Amino acid sequence: MSDTEHKLIGTLKQQLAEKTIGRRDFLRFATLLGLGAPAAYEFANRIDGGVAPAAHADDLPKGGIIRIAQRVPKLDSPHTFSWIYDSNCVRQVCGYLTRTGADNITRPDLASSWEVSDDLKTWTFHMNPKATWHKGGAFTAEHAAWNIKHCLDPSVGSSVIGLMKGYMLKDVDTGKLDDKDAKVMSTELWDANAIEVKDPSTLVLHLQEPQVAVPEHFFHYPFLMLDPAENGVFAMGSNGTGSFEMTVLEVGRKCEFKRIADRPGQVDELHFVDLGDNPSAVAAALASKQVDGIFQGNIEQYDIYKGMAHTDIHSIVTAQTAVARMRSDSKPFDNPAVRKAVRLATDCEKTLQIAHKGVGTAAEHHHVAPVHPDYFKLPPMPRDVEGAKKLLADAGFKDGIDIEINCKPDPSWEQAAVEAMAEQWKEAGIRAKINVLPSNKFWEVWETVPFGFTEWTHRPLGFMVLALAYRTGVPWNESAYSNKEFDDLLTKAEGTVDVKARSEILGKLEKIMQEDGPIAQPLWRSVFAAYDKRVKGFQIHPTLYLFGEDLAIEKA
Amino acid sequence: MLAIAARRLVSMLLIMFVISVLLFLFFEGDKLNLAARVLGPYSPMTGRLAWLEHNGYNRPLMTRYLSWIYGFMRGDWNQSAQFSAPVFDFLLPRLKNTAILGACVFVLTVAISLVLGVFSGIAEASKRDRAITVISVLTTSVPEFASATFLVAIFVYWLDWLPGSSSFSNGFSWREMVLPVATLVIYNFGYYTRMTRASMAEVMNSQYIRTAILKGLPYRQVIIRHALRNALIAPFTVMILQLNYLLSGVVVTEVFFAYDGYGKALYDAAMFGDVYLILAGAMIAVVVAVVSQFISDVGYTQLNPRIRFS
Repeated sequence: MSDTEHKLIGTLKQQLAEKTIGRRDFLRFATLLGLGAPAAYEFANRIDGGVAPAAHADDLPKGGIIRIAQRVPKLDSPHTFSWIYDSNCVRQVCGYLTRTGADNITRPDLASSWEVSDDLKTWTFHMNPKATWHKGGAFTAEHAAWNIKHCLDPSVGSSVIGLMKGYMLKDVDTGKLDDKDAKVMSTELWDANAIEVKDPSTLVLHLQEPQVAVPEHFFHYPFLMLDPAENGVFAMGSNGTGSFEMTVLEVGRKCEFKRIADRPGQVDELHFVDLGDNPSAVAAALASKQVDGIFQGNIEQYDIYKGMAHTDIHSIVTAQTAVARMRSDSKPFDNPAVRKAVRLATDCEKTLQIAHKGVGTAAEHHHVAPVHPDYFKLPPMPRDVEGAKKLLADAGFKDGIDIEINCKPDPSWEQAAVEAMAEQWKEAGIRAKINVLPSNKFWEVWETVPFGFTEWTHRPLGFMVLALAYRTGVPWNESAYSNKEFDDLLTKAEGTVDVKARSEILGKLEKIMQEDGPIAQPLWRSVFAAYDKRVKGFQIHPTLYLFGEDLAIEKA
Repeated sequence: MLAIAARRLVSMLLIMFVISVLLFLFFEGDKLNLAARVLGPYSPMTGRLAWLEHNGYNRPLMTRYLSWIYGFMRGDWNQSAQFSAPVFDFLLPRLKNTAILGACVFVLTVAISLVLGVFSGIAEASKRDRAITVISVLTTSVPEFASATFLVAIFVYWLDWLPGSSSFSNGFSWREMVLPVATLVIYNFGYYTRMTRASMAEVMNSQYIRTAILKGLPYRQVIIRHALRNALIAPFTVMILQLNYLLSGVVVTEVFFAYDGYGKALYDAAMFGDVYLILAGAMIAVVVAVVSQFISDVGYTQLNPRIRFS
């Protein structure tokens, strides 16, 4: 560990001691700022007497083959992956600089420690001296630098660019025109020295803007550390730093990994079996023990999995959701009272039960999830039909309102949630006609319809989605929401590293969302997977990442 | 006879040509969209433009069509964007799997429906006929996805006799064939049974059968020698046309059981937008459709003496 702690770590320690932040938030932020996870846990345990997660128990069974039902897409270009599936395959062979655990805490991996300057603009990563390649040689800072540059190379086309563009890249005009005569824009590093290899074990990133989540970004699924000698191409026999090597790859059918003898892990082999997109084939395969586990369960199959005697269901709450958002520039939603009435008429808990079988948590209409470290707990906002009626009557809608909500049929819980809410709204005089559009049609109009039900994925920090979706004038502001006070508070939150101070700002933002905001939000989804009881060591990850070296299987 | 076959052959080629042009225009008309599909959603515009230039997409449409159809006939079906393999090599084993499935279903369906249809047709309005009719109508009216669900619920979840998916991930397995074959046979045999029954009943009412029976020929011989051949003309035509269904109509069943065949490949390709794979799959479906039509036409003339001797 480094001798120079980030100055905020002291503050965090003090806040933990004073119990002004939770244990989890402390661990998360202390590790983000460069305190090693063991040290953070040790400190947290001294304060609250908690127990660190058990290290790998030695009594896990050794050997055997685990078969997991998961799609097997092509794997040849890991840095351009756009699914979790493909990264789950390559992850068995190649590693990441950091690893964010199921508890949302980022720990060292190929980088063994890091520090950040006080202005959050200079990040120093130290490479793990024990990390070695299968084909020999140590993993060095040059290798890491090559991989970062490769991901940020616009000709590669990695989604890492979207993540790091703000602090690592600048726009450049290529001077070319496309067939519609629009300028073809590209990007390059904002500074030639932005990625600096200080010595073979030290990598320094110079940022153009402060960023707190750099270590988390290094765990973005395509950000795998590949052998530079292979030039970004993954194939049979590819080099890596992980526990496994790939022995079979048949895209669309299966892929198999064999553990290298002296590398960590229990099982001898890990197989992924592609059973296609139909969730009932996956369930039937698990039922007849053709596979030992599934990548992700579909909510419609939840009861089937629950009924299987030989399997366990593993689930975890995430910040994945969908919101009924109202365009604040179209009637009748331009009146904030109408928007609040829609919220008051919604029964979140019931909608969760009906549409998502209770797998998840009820939401509070403000789009900040309890799993976010900077979440602020507001007093509950229960369903209040009379209150909703009164709001509508005062706004001049004595006989209620007739509106139309647009949604898409898949994933199927979205339509079920809309149907459940529309039924609830009726009691308050809000008569919503449901317009189900095919997914591709929906995504053509999602930003422009007056009233729609839009899904939003998990993002690690609470203010991130607020900034993407509700700040005045941003591209994804689908509700045309514009509130000066909200924008100012949001900017303040983004510049606040101190988690407690930020959570208080978020509390104010959440309140604005509840009182004035453009959405009604019923639920936060849990993701779940089912595994045979013989499988040990599995812990479901909020982003469904799989780590073969953690898994073990008992003999049948 | 030869003239009929030749005329059929020419119209068959013409149909294939027209459809290939339509498919080509549909899939390759918008080349920027094609580049985006092949290179992926995050590919930069500069890369897409370079790809179009490099792969000759800036040539005139006519030249592109000719070079595509020439390559297609030589087995050069381009690279699948989704599976990162030549489409030809990818589709071939899957076509083989679907052929195995189709052959099993075809043989079983034909055997069951001929036997039931004949038994039903020779004794119209008997109890046996009524029973067979009820069963045929019932099974045919249940769609594949429903009967598949029932079969899985019974044989996988309840009795635990059979595997629930048929991906052959550890090589070919007869056990994994049972449920997909059963699903398709259940859906199909009723229709052909009804077909055979109607045809058989009609023949049994004709005068030459009555004459044969009155002449004192053994009943068995009347059925097998005289009735069957004429009664089979109509069902034969329909059954050959079923070859086409067994290729493109099995999508639901294949996807349901994760059966690694042509139907599932086409479904995946459609979901992903894998242009070259869809294009090749569609062309194969067209060829099979047209060829089975041809066989059925020619076979019909061979079976039907009124046409054969005219």
